[in-house]
Amino acid sequence: TEAIGLYNLGQSCCLNSLLQVFLMNIHFTRILRRITVPPSPAQRRSNVPYQMLLLLEKMQSGKCKAVGPTELACCLSEHRVELFVQHDAAQLFLTLWNLLKKQMKKPELVKELRDLYTICIQEHVACQKCSFEVKSKSTMLTLPLPVLDANSHRLKTLEDCLQYFFHPEELTGQNMCFCQQCGRKTPFLQSTKLVHLPQTLTLHLKRFCFERSSCTHKLSHSLPFPQELDLRQVLTESQCQADDSEKATWQYELFAVVAHSGSASCGHYCAYIRRLTDCKWYCFNDSEVCQVSWDDVKCTYGRSNLYWRETAYLLFYMKKQPQ
Amino acid sequence: MAQWQEVQGLANTYLEQVHQLYAGSALPMAVRQSLAAWIESQNWRQAAEPLCSHARMLFHSLLVLLGERLGSLGSDREDFMLKHNLRKAHRDLQAEFEEKPERFANLVANLLQEERRILRLGQAEGQAGSAPAPSPAPESGREQQIQRRLAEFHTALQEAERAFRHLEDLQDAFDFCFKVHYQPGEERNRDPGYLQELQSLQAKLQNLDRQRREVLAQMQQLLGRSETLQELLQQELGGWRVRQQHLCLGASADTNLRPLETWFTELGQGLFQLRQLLRALGDLRQKVTYARDPLVAETPLLEQRLQEQLTHLLKSAFVVEQQPSTPNAGKRPLVLRTAGKFSSRARLLVRLHDRNHRMEARIHIDRDPPNIKGFRRFNILTSSSKTLLAGDSPQEGLVCDFQYLTLKEQKDSRAGKGKGASGEGPLVVTEELHLITFTLAYAYCGLELELEATTLPFVIISNNNQFSSAWASILWFNMLSSDPKAQQFFSSPPPAPWPRLAEVLSWQFQSVAERGLSRDNLLMLAKKLLGSKPSPDSTVAWHKFSKDGASGFSFWAWLDGILGLLQEHLKQLWKNGLILGFVSRKQEEKLLKSKRTGTFLLRFSESVLGGVTFTWVEHHETGSPTFHAVEPYTASELVSLALPDIIRDYHMSLEEKNPENPLKFLYPNIPRDEAFGPYYSQRLEGNLSESQKYLNRRLIRVSSRPPNRRQTEEELLVATENLETLQLQPRGQGTPGDLGTPQGVATSPGMPRVTPGILGTLQGVTVSPGTLQVTPENLGTLQGVTVSPGTLQVTPENLGTLQGVTVSPGTLRVTPGNLGTPQTLQMVATSPEMPQVTPGNLGTFQGMATSPGTPRVTLGNLGTPQVMATGLGTLQPQPQSLEPPQVTSGVPNLQGTLQVAPGAVGSVQVLPGGLQVASGDLGTLQGTAEPPRVPEEQGTLPAELRDLELLTGGQDMQELLLHGGQDMQELLEGLEPPSGTLGTLGTLGVAELMPDVVATLEDSLEESLEENFQLSPGSAALLAQHDPFLPQPEDSALPSVPSLFTDLPPLHIDASDFQ
Repeated sequence: TEAIGLYNLGQSCCLNSLLQVFLMNIHFTRILRRITVPPSPAQRRSNVPYQMLLLLEKMQSGKCKAVGPTELACCLSEHRVELFVQHDAAQLFLTLWNLLKKQMKKPELVKELRDLYTICIQEHVACQKCSFEVKSKSTMLTLPLPVLDANSHRLKTLEDCLQYFFHPEELTGQNMCFCQQCGRKTPFLQSTKLVHLPQTLTLHLKRFCFERSSCTHKLSHSLPFPQELDLRQVLTESQCQADDSEKATWQYELFAVVAHSGSASCGHYCAYIRRLTDCKWYCFNDSEVCQVSWDDVKCTYGRSNLYWRETAYLLFYMKKQPQ
Repeated sequence: MAQWQEVQGLANTYLEQVHQLYAGSALPMAVRQSLAAWIESQNWRQAAEPLCSHARMLFHSLLVLLGERLGSLGSDREDFMLKHNLRKAHRDLQAEFEEKPERFANLVANLLQEERRILRLGQAEGQAGSAPAPSPAPESGREQQIQRRLAEFHTALQEAERAFRHLEDLQDAFDFCFKVHYQPGEERNRDPGYLQELQSLQAKLQNLDRQRREVLAQMQQLLGRSETLQELLQQELGGWRVRQQHLCLGASADTNLRPLETWFTELGQGLFQLRQLLRALGDLRQKVTYARDPLVAETPLLEQRLQEQLTHLLKSAFVVEQQPSTPNAGKRPLVLRTAGKFSSRARLLVRLHDRNHRMEARIHIDRDPPNIKGFRRFNILTSSSKTLLAGDSPQEGLVCDFQYLTLKEQKDSRAGKGKGASGEGPLVVTEELHLITFTLAYAYCGLELELEATTLPFVIISNNNQFSSAWASILWFNMLSSDPKAQQFFSSPPPAPWPRLAEVLSWQFQSVAERGLSRDNLLMLAKKLLGSKPSPDSTVAWHKFSKDGASGFSFWAWLDGILGLLQEHLKQLWKNGLILGFVSRKQEEKLLKSKRTGTFLLRFSESVLGGVTFTWVEHHETGSPTFHAVEPYTASELVSLALPDIIRDYHMSLEEKNPENPLKFLYPNIPRDEAFGPYYSQRLEGNLSESQKYLNRRLIRVSSRPPNRRQTEEELLVATENLETLQLQPRGQGTPGDLGTPQGVATSPGMPRVTPGILGTLQGVTVSPGTLQVTPENLGTLQGVTVSPGTLQVTPENLGTLQGVTVSPGTLRVTPGNLGTPQTLQMVATSPEMPQVTPGNLGTFQGMATSPGTPRVTLGNLGTPQVMATGLGTLQPQPQSLEPPQVTSGVPNLQGTLQVAPGAVGSVQVLPGGLQVASGDLGTLQGTAEPPRVPEEQGTLPAELRDLELLTGGQDMQELLLHGGQDMQELLEGLEPPSGTLGTLGTLGVAELMPDVVATLEDSLEESLEENFQLSPGSAALLAQHDPFLPQPEDSALPSVPSLFTDLPPLHIDASDFQ
């Protein structure tokens, strides 16, 4: 069976790309298929998981090369996801996921959804003057990776970005925190440690740069990402807070790339997805779907001065099956 | 190719899939086959959309076509079945789909799609199967990928165009209905018929909108794929750039631009086509637009995206195809000379242009000059702009070819030199990098761009002697710089990783002599450069490579000297691996130690610029083996005698033994003649009896060493020095020379070499810089002498001999002529400030020096010896050194007088420091055996004469003689046939000869004497005209000495006399 496209309803390329990433993920559709159907037609109309399931069914009926996600889009607009507006893919992904989680009534499904996508980290703030420290666990849906370091130098690879993200930061000067033990503002060391990684790891490359309240601009420079990512190799011992059996599962394969072409104010999204059943790459441009190769995906590494070229924005890595 | 046709070409397993596809299908295969072309050219997918009248239209067209097809079928038996099947299909289709043509359209669309899928699989397998190359080159894989992607791109483009045309149809239909039916008005809104029309209009608009979005999505997809394609092309172009750089460095690389040009052009064409399509889309928007029209929002984005891609493609497609190079620089481009001509060429790989638009290309030199103090600025003297011509044949492409360019330094370019107190001095000329930038005002289909291409940096020199170090700079830059515009590179040149340098050095040898450097060669070079074995991290600093040198020259100068030697003289030997080349002495001994006596190897000298030498091993009954190396041969010597011939004829003379060739086996154990046989110059054997006018002769090399001593190489060298002392060889006295000894001595600075020749031998002596060389010979010999700068060379000879001499700048040359050739021998030395003396016997000797400040001395006997100086400056015949000479030469001086004919301006100086003249009769052998001894009685010019100076300007011979006074008289007397000399020398020389050889010699000498008298003066004087072995008059203009040394059967050689 061919991969099916989604018609553009008007600025819906961002939504379409994310829907494809969701619906091509068999771990997600396994959960989606088990939802309870809302009793009333009105509830069904406004239930995001249900509308998504309907769309999936429509796509898989295999009659057409593309279907229109009209009902889902209408349903989303009821939940303050506007139609005919260009969204930011990272933002929209978060909104969609939250809606899904909220509207999946069954707790076991919610838990599965959580397990599938959420990243557990531990935030660590320690006073540099005494032994006082604060630890807090939190979860994230995506790792928002900076593509520039503190000095606005370009980071060279995805691994560098990850490294930099988990690099401890010293809070000094104006950023000093109040230490309860010392009773005054002291320099602190703030660090983030990785505790747990989900089945589907979502990385957000912060290519849109908000500078001095003026218009945002896009950083299109090259940032290669690997097909296979082993977080154990990337992060140091001190950047992790996990036992060996957890870490053993931190090996990933690239599953999907949501790429953006154009400037910060306007542009186009498309999705490159490696279908999990046949391991082949497909490129989804709204209603157009075609089979591509890794060369095409590599093309989304980005390139300085080529702003209109497709540039990877969201990366979805899938845990490797244990051998 | 049509899809159905391709399907039929599939392998059986895939055909089976096609059969299954149609087995359960409502569309019989017979119909698919009969209307294949028509079916494939329709857009079934669009027709399948709901509410689309297109489906019905297509369905009915198909039925009509099917009916036509039925009618056209004949009444053949085969057709009968087909007719039946088609008729049944017609009936069935009509029954099944008449009411729902959309379903039919969907069915056909799916069938076609499935066919395409099977086709892809089948063809992919077919490719893999048909080309089971054991190791498909990755490059060809990339090429295939590019070609496949180009084909896919064009197919997708065609599909987009088809979709666009469909969109046009839809829009026209909608537009028409809209204008006809849409009549807004209150009252009409209640008309149910009108409302139905409106509904239908609304549906049409929906359909139109969807089609627009679909076309836009197709274009997004197309642009995405072309980005990948372009990325692949850029990678290929990057590979080409690297290959071009390597080619410039001497590597062998394929720099054909044709495939790239084809690909770039195809992609460019596609993108321009897409651009047209986008514009047409914009036009559609002009006609019909509505709220949230996707064309309004998206076409501008697509246009910008496409524009960026096209610009990027075109900008990278403008490349320098031919880097700046002078026409005859051989394989070393990027080194230009001021005032010299050079050429460079740029090409636009996207071969698209508007014939009506003239595109102008310009070149600029150093458009953005680096901020380096004293950086020279240049102007391009010749025209710097050119109209880009496509050429009539499309093959040529878009080329701007700048030929015969000339550079001139700007006068004030170094004006700022003194300014600025920074400690850094200006870069040396050979480290100053310049760039030429090509610009092209490109315009095509309304797209206008300024394209730019920059050459690799080049070096501009003003003198040829800077060439070698300029090339070193080019090597260093292209080996290490990642930025082709880094003109500041040599402000702080990075060190080179040894592995990279090794590769580049090997290319130099590969390009000069078609054989790179072996691992062992490179190991030796690494040790020389690094002082130790190289590790993968070893680096070599620039100054270490090109500047420092313990031996007075840098590593590169040394290596380039060897390259020059290979290029000129040793190409074949190197190519075929006969020269081991780079072997350290230690290593050399290790190699030879275990080999038989007489095993030798060839290696390059480490102490002499551009020198090659051989070392052989000698085992003794007791003790350890000894190794001997001959003093290196340089180009100046090899020009007269090829190395293989030297090896063949090389002799070692021992006091108690006959001289013999110690070179027996080329390392490891190839017999000498087997290894070098193919390279020996041709022998002329077998025709001796016939018209033998001359004695055979051959130039050989002989080394000698004192008897009963076995030395290592170094000892041998010391010994020769001793020998020199014994022989009281002149040293450090400027330019002493002797006339006519039967012994030749060649010396290098501080290291004399003795090369004695005897009776009937051919002798050639070459010297290295600063050396004295004396080559005497006797009886029927031929002598060739070449000298390198700063050397004195004396080449006397006698009886029936032939002599040729070439000199390089700054040498003194003395060339005695021979017997029986009136006015025959003419030697021309053309070096500044160096005299040349050419004595001859039995006839006239003429030596001429004709360059500024160069005198000429011509001595002749049996007739008139003439000394003529025609240039400015001083003429200095110096027949004799101040110290006792080691060489004596016999000059038969029968009659006549010595004439010194001074030329225009200047003075003649005769500085005889003990000239010894030995004269002989016609046909008499002359030879002196005791080199160090000078017969005091005669031929020796009195010491007083040393300071004799004759002013020659306008003076004639009489005056000269007068000035000479008494002493001169004595000198002249000495030159007259002195019987005593003949007696002494003659006896010695003849005494050792084999009787029969002497007889032969005498006979042929007389013959040749007669013959020679008939020759016209000065003409091919050295050659007997009807000697078939010698070049005929037409080609006897032979200027170069080597050709004269025709190999004749060797005569008996006995050098022990001359010890």
